[in-house]
Amino acid sequence: MTNEMTNIVVEVLPRFEGYVYPNEASLHPLWGFLIVLYPYITGLVAGAFIMASLVRVFKVRALEPVYRLSLLTSFSFLLCATLPLLFHLGHPERCFEIMMTPHLTSPMAIFGFVYAWYLMAVLLLELWFDYRQDLVEWAKVTPGFKGIIYRAFTVGVTDESPPAVALDMKMGRILSVVGIPSAFLLHGYVGFIFGSIKANPWWGNGLTPIIFILSAIVSGIALCVFNYMVLTWIRRHTVDMRCLDTMAMFLFYALVVDAAVEGLDWLHRGFAAEEGFSVMQIMIREKLFYTLNLGQVTIGTLLPLLLLGPLQLLRRRVPELVRRRMIFSSAVMILIGVLAMRWNVVIGGQLFSKSLRGVMGYKLEFAGVEGWWLGVVLLSLPFIILTVLVKLFLSERLPSSGHIPQDSAAGEG
Amino acid sequence: MKTQYSRRGALSRLGGAIAGLLTLSAARTVKAAVQKVFVASGAPKDYDTTKHKWLMCIDVNKCIGCGLCVEACKKENGVPEGPYFRTWIERYVIPKPEPGSGQTRGETLVDSPNGGMHGFPPTPVPKDQIEHSFFVPKLCNLCEHSPCVQVCPVGATFDAPDGAVLIDPKYCIGCGFCIQACPYGCRFLSPVTKTAEKCTLCYHRITRGLKPACVEICPTQARIFGDLKNAGPDAPIRKFYENNRVSVLKPHLGTEPRLLYAGLDKEVR
Amino acid sequence: MRRFKLPPQILRLVLLTLAIVGSYLIARAFLTPASFGEFGWYRGEALVELRSRPPVYAGKQACDECHSDQLQKLAKFEHQTLSCEACHGVSREHADNPDVLPVKLTGSHCIRCHEANPSRPKWFKQIVVRDHYSGKCTECHVPHQPSQTP
Repeated sequence: MTNEMTNIVVEVLPRFEGYVYPNEASLHPLWGFLIVLYPYITGLVAGAFIMASLVRVFKVRALEPVYRLSLLTSFSFLLCATLPLLFHLGHPERCFEIMMTPHLTSPMAIFGFVYAWYLMAVLLLELWFDYRQDLVEWAKVTPGFKGIIYRAFTVGVTDESPPAVALDMKMGRILSVVGIPSAFLLHGYVGFIFGSIKANPWWGNGLTPIIFILSAIVSGIALCVFNYMVLTWIRRHTVDMRCLDTMAMFLFYALVVDAAVEGLDWLHRGFAAEEGFSVMQIMIREKLFYTLNLGQVTIGTLLPLLLLGPLQLLRRRVPELVRRRMIFSSAVMILIGVLAMRWNVVIGGQLFSKSLRGVMGYKLEFAGVEGWWLGVVLLSLPFIILTVLVKLFLSERLPSSGHIPQDSAAGEG
Repeated sequence: MKTQYSRRGALSRLGGAIAGLLTLSAARTVKAAVQKVFVASGAPKDYDTTKHKWLMCIDVNKCIGCGLCVEACKKENGVPEGPYFRTWIERYVIPKPEPGSGQTRGETLVDSPNGGMHGFPPTPVPKDQIEHSFFVPKLCNLCEHSPCVQVCPVGATFDAPDGAVLIDPKYCIGCGFCIQACPYGCRFLSPVTKTAEKCTLCYHRITRGLKPACVEICPTQARIFGDLKNAGPDAPIRKFYENNRVSVLKPHLGTEPRLLYAGLDKEVR
Repeated sequence: MRRFKLPPQILRLVLLTLAIVGSYLIARAFLTPASFGEFGWYRGEALVELRSRPPVYAGKQACDECHSDQLQKLAKFEHQTLSCEACHGVSREHADNPDVLPVKLTGSHCIRCHEANPSRPKWFKQIVVRDHYSGKCTECHVPHQPSQTP
């Protein structure tokens, strides 16, 4: 900031300090709370999928109990990922144009295809191959409407012979391998939508996509921990501590990497101290003080690190109940912290003028397209979908095929 | 799993295609016929987009900050009331340094009350303490490598062959990506049409042989407008280029604006 | 050797994929505007639509059609760079139909440009209205020939 003058304006409300371009002085930032949710939800999709592929590709047997749950989590969030985008458009009825005449230099247009690829070619297929044998079985034993659903999902393929099941497993594994780069692509691309904006020093940064991917993995694993613990609590089951500890371990290491890269990003920004750095300092000190320092750094990073770190060393000495509570609370804090991080990126990038001479204010409202009420609705929608999916596909009353997801070689033989 | 959703997706897409076949194609034929009658009669027919290259230059030394251009732009283009501008004027006030501070200048003060449409209030610094003060008109920078066009997901904003950067109001989905990508703050989301809007160089005027409204109305000829492909040696735009050393805004972003300024200061961003 | 047979689940998927891609291509064929891609990645028709809007300001050329005497006079004096509509306001209706009179502007309009302001360039003639004269500008200046008195 080289100047500290308040605009002497009659017509325009003094909701900004310094100088902002007149077009930037409108009442709300262009991208509001909904666009905060968009990278958040997409990140949860990618993260939950990576969690599932730990079982299938990296053969982490301890995580088997959450394999299907994390795939279903990923799927239910993916179904809602584009809703915030759709709602914030000025002309939602024209959204099909993105698919019909995609402008290939635009990150947003390519995202449509990345999303479609991920939904249709990766996640749905992997789920189907994983569930196919079960679906055939369930279709036989379940009467009524549910049975019809299961039968529909089999697409009429009822082959349950060992070679067919082996093929299912093999395809599932191939899809998982394809799925990991796809998940990275999906969320890296969301990061690129922001990172590609060179006009905005807060966003236009080569590290933005990487940070988005890393925080996505962290938040996805945290969501799986959350869902798993809530599900076992609802079903009055006992938590599989081996599984939970393994999840906590992956959560911790992912968080360490994420925190390190984010720290490096800030170190680089501070050291290079380019044109926009002075205005960014104001953002950190004033505009984003609570969401950045308290939300993202303290709640989202430091406290979970402090809770999860010692658990890696002293796991045996901590009683199970305490361990469960520590892991659960770190997962919840990480989920809040990553939401704060998305807020800081999306809203933060719009709280200063591109003239780099002033900052704007922002007050989140309750109602309206950009209000938090719609945001809460959109954020609870994937959980509702997940509940339905869990009732249908993780039912306790139905027998499971019991095949081990990562063990494709055994099935083939 | 797969099938249900894919089948549903396929069905809805197929349904969309059929609906498109039945309604949209028919509607489009009717619309095209209607447009042929109405639109074509309004648009100048003899205009060939490929035979022009429009360019605007601004001589900062000539701008008196009267705000007539901002007013004219709002009237000519029906720009909504409020903080929405296709062109605006910024006032820069650079005070003298405090004695003994060892600085070349004081802290620059910039303002643009209501885009400068109704002029400017008295300077915040007394006259004798001002080192430099000047007005800078701003508008679309007509980038050679427009970041706004690059990011439009549907092809609703584009570089016209004649050099104008335009928005198709019937095709824009209002995502706001171009507004975020413009480094110069020249775009806004119109509260009326819910699409992005920006300076069109008064496309409906220049294609009829008129000047853009801001150029037409500027009392001091601080804005110079011309057609590079049809400019003789005496054309104002050639004269301007001959007589001035020019600069552009934010050159480090590599957008290569074709909006050239003479007499800029380093504080102008 | 056994003849290669596509497993049933793969066969279904291939068919589904073909159906989806096919319907996408069909939809694309119908939903892409006719003039899309004429000049570039946009609707070529948009160029015509954008230039079909009628202008609001008539322009100096339109004034010249009837008032060439005034314009010639104007061209000899300081206000030669001014457009007619800068002072007389939007006059398109007047240009289309001379019976509609253009807006007459008062002396406050002179001040809009000529009131002294430290941000205005030095070459530009400026006055401090309070110290200059309290009457009407037109008492001493002819608007079209500002250095002449009426």
